[in-house]
Amino acid sequence: MKRHLRLFMLLCKIGLMRQMAYRPHFFLMVFGKVVRMALLLLFFQAVFLKIDRLGQWTFDQVLLLFATFHLVDYVMSITFQRNLSFHLPALIQSGNLDSRLTLPVQPLFMASLEHIDMMDFISFLPCLGLLGYALYRLDVAFTWLHALMYGLLIVNALVFLFAVVLIIATTSFWTTQSAGLARVFDDLTRVGRYPLDIFEGFWKFFFIYVLPLALISQVPSQALLGALSPGFLLYAVACSGLLAVIAIRFWRTGLNNYSSTSS
Amino acid sequence: MPFPSTAPLAVSARNLTKTYWFHEKAPGLSGAFKALFRSRKKCIQAVQAIDFDLRAGELVGFIGPNGAGKTTTLKMLSGILCPTAGTIDVLGHVPHRREKAFLKTIAFVAGQRNRLFWDLPAEEYFHFCRVVYEIPDERYAAAKRRLVDMADIGDILTVPQRKLSAGQRKRCELVAALLHDPRVIFLDEPTNALDLVNARKLREFIRAKARDGRHGIILTSHNMADISEVCDRLVIIHGGKIVFNGSLASLYERFLPRKQIRILFDGPWARDELAPLGDLVRADAQEVVLEVAASATAGTAALICSRFSIRDITIREVPLEQIIESIYAQPHR
Repeated sequence: MKRHLRLFMLLCKIGLMRQMAYRPHFFLMVFGKVVRMALLLLFFQAVFLKIDRLGQWTFDQVLLLFATFHLVDYVMSITFQRNLSFHLPALIQSGNLDSRLTLPVQPLFMASLEHIDMMDFISFLPCLGLLGYALYRLDVAFTWLHALMYGLLIVNALVFLFAVVLIIATTSFWTTQSAGLARVFDDLTRVGRYPLDIFEGFWKFFFIYVLPLALISQVPSQALLGALSPGFLLYAVACSGLLAVIAIRFWRTGLNNYSSTSS
Repeated sequence: MPFPSTAPLAVSARNLTKTYWFHEKAPGLSGAFKALFRSRKKCIQAVQAIDFDLRAGELVGFIGPNGAGKTTTLKMLSGILCPTAGTIDVLGHVPHRREKAFLKTIAFVAGQRNRLFWDLPAEEYFHFCRVVYEIPDERYAAAKRRLVDMADIGDILTVPQRKLSAGQRKRCELVAALLHDPRVIFLDEPTNALDLVNARKLREFIRAKARDGRHGIILTSHNMADISEVCDRLVIIHGGKIVFNGSLASLYERFLPRKQIRILFDGPWARDELAPLGDLVRADAQEVVLEVAASATAGTAALICSRFSIRDITIREVPLEQIIESIYAQPHR
C-alpha cells in the first residue's frame, strides 16, 4: 500500500512535469480550464434566473448537486478516466502494453494511473470552493454522520464509475478499440449533474436502476441533505461493489486474452 | 567451449504452444465494409509444442525468419502472453501469473518499442524504475553509474527522449531495463538501431553479464555477429518449431560440414588444377576462395601449398548467414 502510494505520488509528479514540458501548452491549458469552469457556472446562473426549481431541487441544492458531480468528475478525469478510456486501448493497439506488464506493479494500477492529469486540479480547486459556497447557502444543520456518508458515497460513486469505465476499456482486449463506447459513456454521465427528478417514467427508472447515474452525485447529495433512505444507501453500495467485482474479473479475463503485436 | 550442464536451470519450457486467432479481411474499401458484418476467423499456430531450457550463466541466441515465433516465445517466457498450452518455469515462477517476485527478477527489452517517458529525460524514467523495483539507494547509484558508463549515455541523461536518435533511445532503454539487476534477461533484437561501436560495446556487456554465472540471457537477432560473438548456444525456430538447438560448432557439423580456404597466389594459377580440389566460391586473378569438406581441409591446404606458388593461405568457416539461409529455405510447416 505504502509502495503504491509512493508510486502514485511519483506519477503525479511525472504528470505535472509532462504538462510543463511544453510551456505555451501549459499556460493555454490553465487558461482553458478556468474558462470552462466559469462558463458552466454562468450557464447555471442563467437557468435559475428563469426558474426557481429544477424538479424537487432548489437552486442551492442544485448547486450542491453540480459541485458534487464535478468533484467526482474531476477526480475521475485526473486519475483513471483518460488512462482507461483512451491510453489503454492505444497501448493494446500498439503492443506497448508489453512493457507495462513486465513491471512489478499491478497491471491495473499502471493502466488506471499512468498518466495523472494534473491540469484538472486547476478546475478541481474552484469546484471545492463551489461546494463550500453551496453548503454555506443551504443553511442546513449538517451532522457528522451526514458528512461521513457524503464522503463514503463520493468514494462509492468513484467505484461505480471506475467499474463501468474499466468494463468498457477491457473490451479493447478483443475489439482493440473501445474509445467510441467510452465517449458515449462520458457523455451519458453528464446527465448525472442534473437532478434525476426531471426525468419521468422509464428514463427515471433507467437512470436509477439500469444505468444508475444517480449514484454519481444525487445519492451523495441526498445523503448530505439527510434525504437518503437506508434502503437506497444499501442499494447504492451493493450496486457499486457488485459492479466492481464484475469489472475486475472481466479485466483479468481480458488480460489473459492479450495477444500483443508482432515486433 | 560447451556450456556446463551442471548450472541450475533458470528457464524451462515444455510443450510450449501459442495459437492466435484473427479475422481475415479482403483488401480494399469493400473488403473492409464486408468484414464489418461477416469475416472469416483464422488461426495461426505461432509456436508449436516447443521444449526449451536455459541455465544460469548461459547466453542463448534465438533466431528465425520473420514470423517464426521467436518474439512470441520470448513474450510467453517473460509473462506478457499466456501460452495456449504447455508449461513454463522461470526461476520457480509461472510467468503469466506475473507475481511481483518474478517480475523483479526478469527484464524484457524489445527492440522496436519505447517504454521511456517521451517528453522527459531518461533520468526521470530511471528514477521511476528505482521506485517500482524498490532498488536501495546505494545499489541504484552504483548500478546507474556502471550502466550509464557502459551505454555511454552520460551526456544525454537530461535530454528529453523525443530529441534523441533511435540508437540513443535504445541505449537509455537498455540501462532502464537492467537497473534492478535482473537474473533472466530477454533481449529482443538488442542491437537493432545501434551503430557498429555501440553494438560491439553492447555485445561485450552482454557477454560479461552472462559470464558471472548469475544471469541467464536469451536474445533474438537478425544480426549474425550478435549470435556468433556472444552466444553459448543457438536455437533456430522456424514455423513455430525448433529446428536446431545446440552450439555453433554442432550447427556447422550438422548443416554444413565445410570450410573455406582462401588462397592468395604469387603468380598465375590454372582453374583446371584447382577445380577438382573443391568448389570455387570466388576466383580472381590473384585470389581464390575454395570450399571443401571440413574433414579434408588440412589435406587440401597442404596439397595447394605444395603444388602452387602462394603468398598467403587462410582457412575459415563458411559464413553463418549462409547456413542460416539454407535452413530458412527448407519447408517448415
